[in-house]
Amino acid sequence: MVKAIEISGLHVTLGRGAGRVHVLNGIDLSIESGEALGLIGPSGSGKSTLLMTMVGLEQAEKGSIRVAGEEITGLDEDRLALFRGRHAGIVFQSFHLIPTMTALENVAVSLELNGRKDAFERARAELEAVGLKDRVTHYPSELSGGEQQRVALARAMAPDPAILFADEPTGNLDEATGREIMDLLFALRAKRKTTLVLVTHDASLAARCDRIIRLRGGRIDA
Amino acid sequence: MIRQVLLPLLFAFRNLRNGIGGFGIFLASIALGVATLSGISALSRSLTDGLAHEGSLILGGDIALSRMHRPIDDADMRALSDLGQTTTLVSLRAMARTESDAALIDVKAIEPAYPITGAVALVPPMPLSEALSENAGRFGIAVDGTLLARLGITVGQDLAIGQAKFRITSEIADETDRIGGGLTFGPRVLLSRAGLETTGLVTPESLVRYTTRVALKDPETTPDQLAVIADSLTKSLSEKGFEIRTRLNASPQLTRNIERFSEFLAIIGLVALIVGGTGVGNTIHAYIDRRRISFAILKALGAQGRLVFASAFAEVMGLAFLGTCIGLVIGNTLPFLIAFFAASVLPVPLEPKLHADIIAIGAIYGLLLAAAFAIAPLGKSHDIPVTALFRELVTPDHRPTRFIYRLASVVTGAVFIGAILLLAHDLKLAAFMLAGISGALGLLRLVAAAMMSLARRLPHPPGVEPRLALANIHRPGSLTPALVQALGLGVSLLVTIGLVEANLTAQLTRGLPNRAPSFFFVDIPGSGLHAFRAFLADEAPGGTIVTVPMLRGRITALNGIASEQVKASDDAAWVLDGDRGITYASLLPEGSRLVAGQWWDEAYSGPPLVSVEADIAKGLGLRIGDTISVNVLGRTLTAHIANLRAVDWQSLGINFVMVFSPSSFKGAPVAHLATVTLPDKGDPIREAEILAHSAKAFPAITAIRVREALETLSDLIGKLALAIRGASGVTVLATILVLAGALGAGQRNRLRDAVILKTLGATRRRLLLAYAFEFLAIGSIASLFGLVTGTVAAFAIVTFALKSPFVVSPWPVFGVTFFAVASTLVLGLVGTWRILSERPSAYLKSQ
Repeated sequence: MVKAIEISGLHVTLGRGAGRVHVLNGIDLSIESGEALGLIGPSGSGKSTLLMTMVGLEQAEKGSIRVAGEEITGLDEDRLALFRGRHAGIVFQSFHLIPTMTALENVAVSLELNGRKDAFERARAELEAVGLKDRVTHYPSELSGGEQQRVALARAMAPDPAILFADEPTGNLDEATGREIMDLLFALRAKRKTTLVLVTHDASLAARCDRIIRLRGGRIDA
Repeated sequence: MIRQVLLPLLFAFRNLRNGIGGFGIFLASIALGVATLSGISALSRSLTDGLAHEGSLILGGDIALSRMHRPIDDADMRALSDLGQTTTLVSLRAMARTESDAALIDVKAIEPAYPITGAVALVPPMPLSEALSENAGRFGIAVDGTLLARLGITVGQDLAIGQAKFRITSEIADETDRIGGGLTFGPRVLLSRAGLETTGLVTPESLVRYTTRVALKDPETTPDQLAVIADSLTKSLSEKGFEIRTRLNASPQLTRNIERFSEFLAIIGLVALIVGGTGVGNTIHAYIDRRRISFAILKALGAQGRLVFASAFAEVMGLAFLGTCIGLVIGNTLPFLIAFFAASVLPVPLEPKLHADIIAIGAIYGLLLAAAFAIAPLGKSHDIPVTALFRELVTPDHRPTRFIYRLASVVTGAVFIGAILLLAHDLKLAAFMLAGISGALGLLRLVAAAMMSLARRLPHPPGVEPRLALANIHRPGSLTPALVQALGLGVSLLVTIGLVEANLTAQLTRGLPNRAPSFFFVDIPGSGLHAFRAFLADEAPGGTIVTVPMLRGRITALNGIASEQVKASDDAAWVLDGDRGITYASLLPEGSRLVAGQWWDEAYSGPPLVSVEADIAKGLGLRIGDTISVNVLGRTLTAHIANLRAVDWQSLGINFVMVFSPSSFKGAPVAHLATVTLPDKGDPIREAEILAHSAKAFPAITAIRVREALETLSDLIGKLALAIRGASGVTVLATILVLAGALGAGQRNRLRDAVILKTLGATRRRLLLAYAFEFLAIGSIASLFGLVTGTVAAFAIVTFALKSPFVVSPWPVFGVTFFAVASTLVLGLVGTWRILSERPSAYLKSQ
């Protein structure tokens, strides 16, 4: 069976000259399809960089990353974008909704980019699935933080990605709302058997995953 | 108090110390506007200074007295000789003939003493006296190279003028007093006074000008002393019909034209400055956007909003000062550069110098403009919350700018406009243009608001790209207002200028000649009029021949006030400058319409009456019943104004500013003027034949081909249009800067959208397509507006100011519009390319 993600000998260096920092120093990691993996570690340990490199948002200096059987290191910007559209859903701490689009359009956009003809019907269903049936015509500025993150989750899940990447998805939310969002996220991924890579500071959140990886100084600690 | 002043300056200094990155567009906008305005002023000043300081070369002496028909008499000549060295020259238009061809020439007959100032250079080099001397029964002449080319002859060949034959001994390479004579329609021919006598062209009625020049004994004569001498000469000689000029006003018409033209160019430069101003606003938005974290930190550390604003304002004004200095350096260096590299091709002397007033005015414009456009957006810095440090992107700040900053911006804008009006030479023109620019800007603001509102209300289109484009048009901080204003104003200006120029050219090359005569014939002696009419009837069967009597006269007084003392409007002052053609008639001339008063009876023979062209009368402050004194052939005649006429000058038929009652010039030797309109219209070969035949049969009669005269005018307009296009090009540059500035200001929003869409799978091609839709939509609507307003403005100028029928020419309209839309698209896409190539991680991590 094809692994969801296979990483070997991954090195990532950021910055230039004197400001050059080796963020990831030889990561080897394998994630099974359908597995939920929690990435934890102190600030600066490289967990967000690892997540971004897995989806081609950050460039590897050395090493190999195979996602859904496809080697993504060396792909150009456009191929990486197409790859993400096909295989990856991403949820960010800052939601990153497009402020000039309604909730429905924000969700539909990921489907449209995938060439789905039923983008809006599907987007409506996704918003209903995250409890925002009545907020489809609202703009991000008219939604609460929790609602914005639900839209972001609906957008990430709408194209049925093989892997869902979540980077501190509760970081900008209060505790109760954060818990609701995580319940929703785990429920959706369980229902669709989506592989999950979750970056978090919160050990209790990570504990809900099948496996936890701890990063320290750009290396896997345990 | 000191702390409140010093602290912002200190903060501003610290920020500036780290470089001026992100302020390139700001500096360029200010520098471009200031450079244009001060460059135009400095160039105009160095031209007028050059004319003033080279006055004695241009005039050919320190003082020049000229009048038509009669040379100066001996007594007056003796008085002039007491002042210094004198020389008298005779100028007239005539025909030069070869065996098979003929051409209109501008004859200048000189005495051996000529030139008393300046020089004439000949090719092959030889003394002027030698070139013009008599040799083997033929006098020599020196001619302009264009005449040789026109007639296909060379130096050494013969040329007939009037009844005499001359040998061309040389070509004129340089003639320092040439521009003092103004626009000429024929190439120059220099010959001696003795040579001129042999032509038989000088008769009492022929249009001959005698100019006596004086080079003062004392070369150190100050301008004040010269003015006193000129005043005394005016008092004693003005009534004798002399036009008196000194080296201080060697070419008043040219000086006036340079001043008016540069004022017009300066207004175009002003449009560039204001267009650039809209760019300044955008740059400040981008600056606030970049610095919001720094401002939030200052506030977190206890700085009040006032202090944050003051330090931002000090920083921006420091940069505005730098931009202004750059503009001043470029603008004020321009005349020096032109004098260094292109002095030899300039028809007028250039005297470049630094002028404190031009520098000060440029500095005032630059700093006021920067303040007017920067204060309101800078006001945002006052209320940037400390929370911007933590969650501004999640909960964006939509607080409006405080009233006090908006008010300060409006007040500074008003001071800016006040300064423009105060410093303008022509207040009416400046006010008119400012009203036009303000009106257009206001309308464009409405267009932008309407466009954004419509985009907000339109149903969201299917497809990511059009939807993103539509959203980009109406979202806060969108390109729409800046681009619509800059592009709309730029296109308006270019379409207006393009259409006015196209209308002028079309009239000169197509419209006018269809209605205009083919020839003007001047200097037809009264005794030969019948024979010449018969000749024309033979040469142009079926053609329309019109003849009128014509004299030359100079207005010496209006209502008893000497013409030198009369305050005339700019449009009418030329009538007082020198001799004017005048006529007399018993019936209202064709092409005229009576607008006030009564035409005299056909048989009227009472005291002299005069009919004056209505616009000129208005410019001279004349009404019916007023008197005009005219010196004709040495006799001063005073006539009452009986009526005012509106004249259709564009018919190019014979018409005069002043038409006198029939008996006014009884007994005076009168020459006639004739026009011939050929029935077959516009056959150049036939015209050339008639010209050659006429010159052969009537050597004393001068023929002017309207076609050639119009070509000369068209050529002049082409040269002026080139300067106008140059100034307009600055507006195009300013528009480009605004586009770049607006793109920079919206960069953060655009980057965010691009990154989000990329994480969702959007390729660069799709993002590019979305931006292309956006730029096309904004560019098309702004250009469409500019096209409409530009066409309306051109229509108004052509119809009401130039009083011509308006023709829409497709090239300026669609050419400019296409160029504007295409440049918006290209510049927009180039400007956003960097965003598309940006890797998303840097942005995502920073949020």
